Amino acid sequence: MKLVIADKSIEFDHDGFMLDPSLWSDEVALVIAKEDGIEEMSEEHWKVVRFIRHYWLEHDMAPAVRLVCQELGVGVRQLYKLFTLGPARGACRVAGLSKPDGCV
Amino acid sequence: MSERESERNFQKMLQVLRDHQSVHFEACVRCGLCGKSCHVYLSDPSVENLPVTKAQKVVGLQRKKSEEVDEKFLLSLQESVYGRCTGCGRCNLNCSIGLNIASIIRVGRTILSALGRTPEKLLRPLKNQLEYGNQMMVSADEMRETATWIASDLRLESGQESFDIPIDKEGARILYLVNPREIKFAPLSLMAAAGVFGAAKESWTLASRFFDVTNFGFIAGDDESMKQVAEAVFSEGKRLGVREVILSECGHGARVFKWDSGVASPLPTKSIIELLDLYIEQGRVRLDKKKNAARVTLHDPCNLVRWSGVSEAQRRVLREACADFKEMIPNRAQNYCCGGGGGMQLLQECSEVRLRSAEIKANQIRSSGAKVVATPCHTCIDQLTELNKKYQLKVEISTVTELVYNALLY
Repeated sequence: MKLVIADKSIEFDHDGFMLDPSLWSDEVALVIAKEDGIEEMSEEHWKVVRFIRHYWLEHDMAPAVRLVCQELGVGVRQLYKLFTLGPARGACRVAGLSKPDGCV
Repeated sequence: MSERESERNFQKMLQVLRDHQSVHFEACVRCGLCGKSCHVYLSDPSVENLPVTKAQKVVGLQRKKSEEVDEKFLLSLQESVYGRCTGCGRCNLNCSIGLNIASIIRVGRTILSALGRTPEKLLRPLKNQLEYGNQMMVSADEMRETATWIASDLRLESGQESFDIPIDKEGARILYLVNPREIKFAPLSLMAAAGVFGAAKESWTLASRFFDVTNFGFIAGDDESMKQVAEAVFSEGKRLGVREVILSECGHGARVFKWDSGVASPLPTKSIIELLDLYIEQGRVRLDKKKNAARVTLHDPCNLVRWSGVSEAQRRVLREACADFKEMIPNRAQNYCCGGGGGMQLLQECSEVRLRSAEIKANQIRSSGAKVVATPCHTCIDQLTELNKKYQLKVEISTVTELVYNALLY
């Protein structure tokens, strides 16, 4: 699937993850979030998304959910309320990561 | 491919066919019942989607000449055995002469594995299992820290001070294997299991190294790797001195560890579903089904139900844990695959088939009128979550253990 977001042509894989994660921007995050039913990205949404993005840029892999929750002081049930599709298919996708390997 | 290389490959392929005694498929009487039982065929009734066509592509190799087995053929074999079949085995059950069609199709995967042609998305988790002991490279430290964190959340949520998540505890009665995603991404099902174990006063432990309930050797048709992965886990159980291995909710994991790993299990091995059933029967946990008031239906994972015969336990459990349990139709061994099995959930190139072929499942769910779909398999959960979005089912998807945890009385 291809979308034009903020004048850039962005391609997504069949699971809706970005094919070229380097093209990610806040505008892209908003579009993905909306698709997952997040009408408005709250400060808490952004906190999670920025943490995951930052970790991924440094380590080339998605952070464990424990790190996300402990570093940000967010409960795991709260995280599922923010991203109903969960940390992997929800939060990681909004943060513009490519699809993690394995049972995800 | 040089002529010599292609001849060598061809001989390898024939050897795999002989090893698996695939000639029994020659008995096929072409009745076509396999097509009518296959969710992929039903969603697109073309001849390529008939289970017999897929199996024939594998067995027909023995009548080919080596020069006919070229790149084009190998790609079409790959497409047949990975892109048109989840290995769900519904065709076997409805075959008029009882052929094991799905297993023949899996032999096609074994052949491709022998040629080094397993799809990368399935090979990477397998390599991780062989190298790191689990498909997601979760370290022993991460395992311990996650267990500590989830245990503390569990105590807070349940108000039960004694609840814990022990790791590498020697002499525990059971070793509980989990899907690494329960550690890395989705720990609520682990929290639920720990809650139920706590309520049942079970003596249990996780392992920090070989804790993975999945086995990508099975998915990839790589039988040697499958054995190696299973042996590492069983050795861990022996080392810890446990008396039973309990498998978290995983379809193929249950199949592999219960009977299909190629290794004789040195320890009794059960799905957590069977243990929950036992806890309820023996009165070790008390449940209030009113806590799960919404209508619940059950999706039967193919590998757990059709292939491994665990069929009634989950129903008894759900009837005790939920106020309004309603079967989808058909069910049990005749249930349709969710569409995501056999590795298809991981293969991008299969997404279109995967979602299209699952329309039948979406309709089953809709007709049940349920608000919650329970299923004891994480891959089914992912696929059903996608179906929920695509077909606008407006349901919740849950593991069975999470519903039981939610109904617990302390």
